[in-house]
Amino acid sequence: MPTELPYAADAEISLTYDELEVLRLQYEKELAQSHVTVQTKFNYAWGLVKSPMRDHQVEGVRLLQDIYRTEPTRRRECLYYLALGHYKMGNFTDARSFNDLLLSREPTNLQAQSLASLIDKGVAREGYVGMALAGGVAALGTLLVAGLIRRATRK
Amino acid sequence: MASKYKGKSAANRPDNTRAAGPETSTSQSRMDLVSNALFAPFTHKKKNSSRILTDLAPVIMTPRMMNAAATVSSRSRGSLGGSAPGGSRLDFATLGRAPMRLTLGNRRITSRDLQIVEATDELLDADIPEAEGVASDVSLFRGFNATIPSSEKNRTRRKQMRNVETPRIGLKKLGMSARGMMMEDEEERSVASEDDVVVVTRPDERGKRKGKRRGRESLSAAKALGKDELSRQTQEILLDKENLHVRRSLINSEITEIINKIKALDSIRDGLEQDLLKLQEDELELDDELEGVRERMEFEEGAFRQNDKSKPAPSSYIAPSRRRKGPVFLPSEHDDLPPGVAFMTLESHITPITALDFSEPYGTLVSASQDDSQPRLWDLMTGSAIGRLRGHRGAVKCIQVEDNLCLTGADDGTVRLWDLQLVDDDDWDRDGLTDVAEEVEGTAYDGELVEKPNGIRSSEPSEAGTDHTGPCIRSFEGHSKAVTALYFEDECLVTGASDKTLRQWDLATGQCVMTMDILWAISHPQPTIPGNSLPNHFFPGAAASAGHFAVPTPPYADGSWEMYQDFVGGVQFWGYGLVSGSGDGAVRMWDMRTGQAHRTLMGHTGPVTCLQFDEMHIASGSLDKSIRIWDVRTGGTFETLKYDHAVTALQFDTRKIIAATGENGVKIYNRTSMQHSSLHTNGHTQPVERLRYMDRYLISGGRDAALKIWTL
Repeated sequence: MPTELPYAADAEISLTYDELEVLRLQYEKELAQSHVTVQTKFNYAWGLVKSPMRDHQVEGVRLLQDIYRTEPTRRRECLYYLALGHYKMGNFTDARSFNDLLLSREPTNLQAQSLASLIDKGVAREGYVGMALAGGVAALGTLLVAGLIRRATRK
Repeated sequence: MASKYKGKSAANRPDNTRAAGPETSTSQSRMDLVSNALFAPFTHKKKNSSRILTDLAPVIMTPRMMNAAATVSSRSRGSLGGSAPGGSRLDFATLGRAPMRLTLGNRRITSRDLQIVEATDELLDADIPEAEGVASDVSLFRGFNATIPSSEKNRTRRKQMRNVETPRIGLKKLGMSARGMMMEDEEERSVASEDDVVVVTRPDERGKRKGKRRGRESLSAAKALGKDELSRQTQEILLDKENLHVRRSLINSEITEIINKIKALDSIRDGLEQDLLKLQEDELELDDELEGVRERMEFEEGAFRQNDKSKPAPSSYIAPSRRRKGPVFLPSEHDDLPPGVAFMTLESHITPITALDFSEPYGTLVSASQDDSQPRLWDLMTGSAIGRLRGHRGAVKCIQVEDNLCLTGADDGTVRLWDLQLVDDDDWDRDGLTDVAEEVEGTAYDGELVEKPNGIRSSEPSEAGTDHTGPCIRSFEGHSKAVTALYFEDECLVTGASDKTLRQWDLATGQCVMTMDILWAISHPQPTIPGNSLPNHFFPGAAASAGHFAVPTPPYADGSWEMYQDFVGGVQFWGYGLVSGSGDGAVRMWDMRTGQAHRTLMGHTGPVTCLQFDEMHIASGSLDKSIRIWDVRTGGTFETLKYDHAVTALQFDTRKIIAATGENGVKIYNRTSMQHSSLHTNGHTQPVERLRYMDRYLISGGRDAALKIWTL
């Protein structure tokens, strides 16, 4: 059965502060009653993940992990959201493992596939940065060594 | 130089990563902390940066742009676990992440981060079942869209579209004054148009206006919404309806979940209540044990004092064990026995058992059966018969054993007192024919096995005159008909017989001290007790005063029945108080000093067959298939237990009532939990007739002529 999931781009659109506040209040009210419905928790978690602040994202992922642990029926969807959350935070390996698990369950899921490509792109970009850095370090290193040698030979 | 330094340490970092290996996140965090400390001047919180930007240019920094600014930094930052669990791959990605982390500022690593990372692995291992129920109907995302506040916004928008600009009516003032609140000076504006004045449309005003027949145009005519808007509204309404549907299914699923939780909690509560009941039972048991231990303490003090005087202990020195409630001494192997199983069967009788009693668990058992005038003796340790009590001329109907003293009452109207220690081992059957000329040893035991010197073995019981030799110590004669119930304690014995009298005897002298006539008590009922005005004949078959008493018993479980002729079903006394259960269905309480029955407890509709009382309750079982528990002080009925067949024997304590109710299984009623149970494993094959228990050791005798021993 295909799961209805939002595209990764949706995670970039954050809610307004007021909306998030409403969700947070709803969540805490239910928390006070010590019965939190899955939907409320998810709403709040998803709102947090969509937010640009890293703290929020961390909290959102933590809540999603809670949902994952406690609701076996919701796990497949949560896989996607966890992958998305980790992707936003930059934990590409985690994101990839969750996403791969989802794809192994549901190979035809479009959103999961698009997320997989996004993760790949992110990893690649970091790779380029790393390459650039390594190149820079190598260049600096050679310059230094050259300078030392020149100094030595000059002496 | 600074950058070079950064580069070098960045290069070192992956090496550390590789070396660290399994202890990934913590080591990384340490490194991060160190790097934090080093680069503190260079780093600044991302939060600060974006907040500054937001303050400067709120217009520009829409959420979109903020996201864009933030995600660049966050994505390139990388995390702790990101590089570490990936193994010790020194690849460019890892490398690329490092400097960004250093330069673009670093948050404090919170425990949350660690939590997430550590949880990942375990979560990945978790099982992912197929989504079912509400999860498959409404995905989380759908639910999100249905329940976030912005789902309401279409509705509010539509409402606003329907807002019509009208001249000021002053509704707010209306509302406030309707609530009884004073308006603040908001309404300072003077009433400009006449519409302001309208507050409540009074009927007469309306009537006036009707006359004008102009009316106001309805509000809706003032505004034109346009086709696009209207179609958009229809779409939105449909969407909102779908959202409602989604929300409804969410709430329904929540309700079912809560119902299940409540059920689970209820079952937990029931379990706890059961535990409470058990604790109550244990408390009662401990109380009994305490009493027993205290009695034992007194006894032991007395016994040891006597030992100093070194005189032979008299035969009845222990406090009456019939009333001893505390734990008895059992061999340690007794604990290994499975409860509820008859672990020993004594078979020797050939007719239904009519009476049984034993001195103590694993001690000596005396049992009698129908038409058998010689009760048998058993050694409960080995389970073998060790002798017989010969002397009676009629079938023995009731037995009581206290240590080595045994009293039996028989159909011949006599009660005999036996010393069980004097009964010799008798392995000769009644039909045994071996003539062995046996030397008559020390004490002549001609009350027992009659051994004529000429070798002819005679099984005729000796005359009643030989009371002082042999096991039969004394014989009590006085009743004219069968003695069917007896109870003795210390030196006092009370017997009940089918001549409808109760007699009190002195054990030492053998004399009858008092005779209590039940017939007299029946015809002279005590008038003072309320509720005692019922006629004496409680049930048709009583014929109490009319000579021979015989009542057919209701059929047993196997269908058999017989004529019940024992007028006195049970007696017990304590101090001066005597309680008797008789064939007219009445339980009478007598004062043994006066010989008068001062109270009659009515309720049974059949002859009372068995009786027992303790400080608080009297329990009586009768042929009317019930057991009644009475209050000793008031005489009211506490409880009535109904069974399927006639009750023939019972014994109770604070926690349970064990009864023989005409079935093959021994019935146990738990008084704290009010549960019935039955002992039938390896049990009787015909209805149980008699039983007796002490602490956890129960002996039952049935119509199948077998005696079975159980662990409780």
